Amino acid sequence: MASNVVTRFMEKHAALSGKPHRVRSSAEAADAIADILAAIGAQRVALANLSQELSAAIERTLSGKVLELRKEPFPASTLPHAIDDCQAGITGMAFGIAQTATLAEIAVNDAQRLVSALPRTHIGIVHAKDVVETLEDAAPLLRSIFQQNPSNCTVSFISGPSRTGDIELKLTLGVHGPGEQHAIIIEE
Amino acid sequence: MADVHQAALKARIVKALEEPKHSAALLRCMQRGRDNRARALTELPGGADFRGTVKAVKDRCIEHQVELVNRFIANAEARGTRVFCARNGQEAIDYVLKLASDRKAKVIAKSKSLTTEEIEINDPLIEAGLKVIETDLGELIIQLVHEKPYHLVFPSVHKMAADVAKIFAKETGTEVSEDIPSIMKVVRAYLRPIFLNADIGMTGANVGIAENGCIVIETNEGNGRLVSSIGDCHVCVMGIEKIVDTIEDAMLMVLAHPVSASGQLPTTYVTWMGGRSPLGEGESRGPRESHIILLDNGRRSTRDDVAMRESLNCIRCGACMNVCPTYGVVGGHVFGHIYPGPIGIPWTAQVHGLENAGAFASLCISCGLCKEICPAEIDMPMMIAEVKRRFAVEHGFAKAERTMMGADGFAALGSAMAPIANRMIQSKTARKVMRATLGIDERRALPPFTHQTFKKWFHARKRVSQESKRRVAFFVDVFANHNRPDLGQSAVELLERLGCEVALPEQRSSGYPFIAYGNLDKAREVATFNIARLAPFAKDGYDIVATEPTAAYCLKSAYLTLLHSSNDSEFVAGRSHEFFEYLIDFDTGTTEFPSLKGRRFGFHISCHQRPLGAGHGAVEWIRRHGGEVKIIETGTCCGMGGTFGLKSGPLGYDLSMAVGKPLFDLFNQSGVDAILTESSVCAIQLREGTGLPVYHPLELLAQ
Ligand code: SF4
Ligand code: SF4
Repeated sequence: MASNVVTRFMEKHAALSGKPHRVRSSAEAADAIADILAAIGAQRVALANLSQELSAAIERTLSGKVLELRKEPFPASTLPHAIDDCQAGITGMAFGIAQTATLAEIAVNDAQRLVSALPRTHIGIVHAKDVVETLEDAAPLLRSIFQQNPSNCTVSFISGPSRTGDIELKLTLGVHGPGEQHAIIIEE
Repeated sequence: MADVHQAALKARIVKALEEPKHSAALLRCMQRGRDNRARALTELPGGADFRGTVKAVKDRCIEHQVELVNRFIANAEARGTRVFCARNGQEAIDYVLKLASDRKAKVIAKSKSLTTEEIEINDPLIEAGLKVIETDLGELIIQLVHEKPYHLVFPSVHKMAADVAKIFAKETGTEVSEDIPSIMKVVRAYLRPIFLNADIGMTGANVGIAENGCIVIETNEGNGRLVSSIGDCHVCVMGIEKIVDTIEDAMLMVLAHPVSASGQLPTTYVTWMGGRSPLGEGESRGPRESHIILLDNGRRSTRDDVAMRESLNCIRCGACMNVCPTYGVVGGHVFGHIYPGPIGIPWTAQVHGLENAGAFASLCISCGLCKEICPAEIDMPMMIAEVKRRFAVEHGFAKAERTMMGADGFAALGSAMAPIANRMIQSKTARKVMRATLGIDERRALPPFTHQTFKKWFHARKRVSQESKRRVAFFVDVFANHNRPDLGQSAVELLERLGCEVALPEQRSSGYPFIAYGNLDKAREVATFNIARLAPFAKDGYDIVATEPTAAYCLKSAYLTLLHSSNDSEFVAGRSHEFFEYLIDFDTGTTEFPSLKGRRFGFHISCHQRPLGAGHGAVEWIRRHGGEVKIIETGTCCGMGGTFGLKSGPLGYDLSMAVGKPLFDLFNQSGVDAILTESSVCAIQLREGTGLPVYHPLELLAQ
């Protein structure tokens, strides 16, 4: 059952010009990330919203492969430039929606949003068990997120790379945000 | 005088007709929007059913608006957001000016927001010394050339890559090559420092949620995310009609909006923003604030205005722009004030005043297509008719409009004096006089009148009484009565051959021109008359049948709106049918009449027929009788627009021909022998535009 949802997510993500990857563990996710970063030659990478386990796996795998990993907490005085300066951003996602290939990001600090918004390449990581079928299914999830965060909280739905059709209706990627959007789905 | 008002509009139409490149780009955009939407609907569970749900949710939220707004404000404030209720644009502008000065702001980065376009906030901010930059690419392009949006979703659709390259070359002082990827690099580099250094980020909101005080911002480019996260101060300007009750309501809008706008599901970025977050840890540049300006600007009074209230259901998807035939030719600068396209007419009337709306409302030919595509099922044609009515109260009707609304009497006269009238409509001199006095274009071939009207024929003929299986009350329109009684005769004879008893209740012609030109009092009078005569038949078990699509549309839809769904109008609507949709149920193709084998027809769906089965009945009937038929369509109108194309000049014949051109081309390239259409006025247009023979399917009976 769960794997069908993931298949649907991946097909839709690819249809939206995204790049989906299915992996079986945090370690495999880190390997996939290393490949993506190698392909684009990323030297500075920002991380946000990751579990300890994932963060550790990524750091282990990337050590020696990229020059610099920037992590939370980001000193306010260095923002937004410290993140804009990165070639790739990697963030953990709260849930996914198969119908729209959406990665849902929870941010209580806008630095987390910038990691998925400023660099040219963004990699979002979601667990297969957290992928729901439809937009409708996502409504109760949003409700509980906002209830748990009664002061400030921003949820961002990210479905594929930044796109525009404003010139001659021709689909063009990456006008402001990432032109390359990866979704890594961990099936454990 | 309305004619004086229309003179300025006509001049703008003439200019637009001289720019066929703009229209070609716009038409491509509209076509693409329609095609993609249709494709998205096939993937959506329930297809177009979401329209009914959107309408129900919007109706409910507007009904409870007062409470929802209060709850939204309380919940947004609980999240630390400051909410300001602006009664009008000036109050909103003053609020932002003060905010900018308090914060010593220099740069405001904006994400696409029609509401800020509505109140024209940029100019006063710029005058106050602020640098205000639109970051949505389309908006930025038009900002740099000081224009207004050409289309709601694609504001710069009329600018080609080469134009855009020039615009950015001028702005950046560098060379920009004309290919899109190079332009994009320039745009990204140009806007990046603006995003990074903005003091204030200003956005609109697609939805506000009362339940939790959140706003929802949708963008494909991702500019909304940057604008709402980097600057220490975020200002959202939103109309109060955007506030819904629950997250589920908002989710429906998040679905309906992109499906209707471009057929893309979903919008790439949907930001659900609840309060302001810090940016990083430790000392930052200054306090992080968020402000929401809730704009009234005529919305509260619109809610109290029964005829216009539904316009608040608009979710700004732009779909109505993708079908509107005349908008597609003249574009949003002519067909619009600030809000372009169909919904632009009622919105302009409500927020920018009747004068501004009346200045372009007569571009609406009342085809009804916008209503059929709107995700909130807004009855725009009827609201536009109301705008025209109100404008006419101030300025009267234009000459040609008066003629068209008098068509009934004119036709009666034509029939009464058929030989003379027919000589007149053939005579060049007489036609010039008719243009001057009646506003009918002399280039338009008018159909001859017959002395014996359908009604006379019906009452004079002898009927053989027979056992009847069905009882039919026939509803005839002005044209079928005076110009082509033979069609009605064929219909009646066919029905009788199939065992129906046919009656002709007392009736007036449908009166649709009164709606089209905005004489709603007259339209209501005709509707009342006809419903009063038809309802007894309906109640007595008669099926009401009309051969003219517009007449059937009146019975099934327009009269209901005019008469506020009175019991009788509901009853009549429930028993009314478009002729072939009715016939197809029991004419199995066994009736004796010449086989259509070997003939190849192209079928034209008239606009008013789209909600009535879109010609399915006629097409099926022709196939059953051996004919080969394919539907040929551009997805919009042939341009005739009822009587619109009979009127002289740019606001009539010229525009009508320009609208029809792409369809004429399709027919001419299709290789069919003849065109079939059930609408008598579309037939005139297609005959003239294509040079092909055009028949009503019923005419085939006699051939
Ligand atoms: S009724 Fe037809 S012409 Fe009028 S605004 Fe709607 S789509 Fe345009
Ligand atoms: S009126 Fe309907 S179709 Fe037009 S923009 Fe509004 S919601 Fe969309």
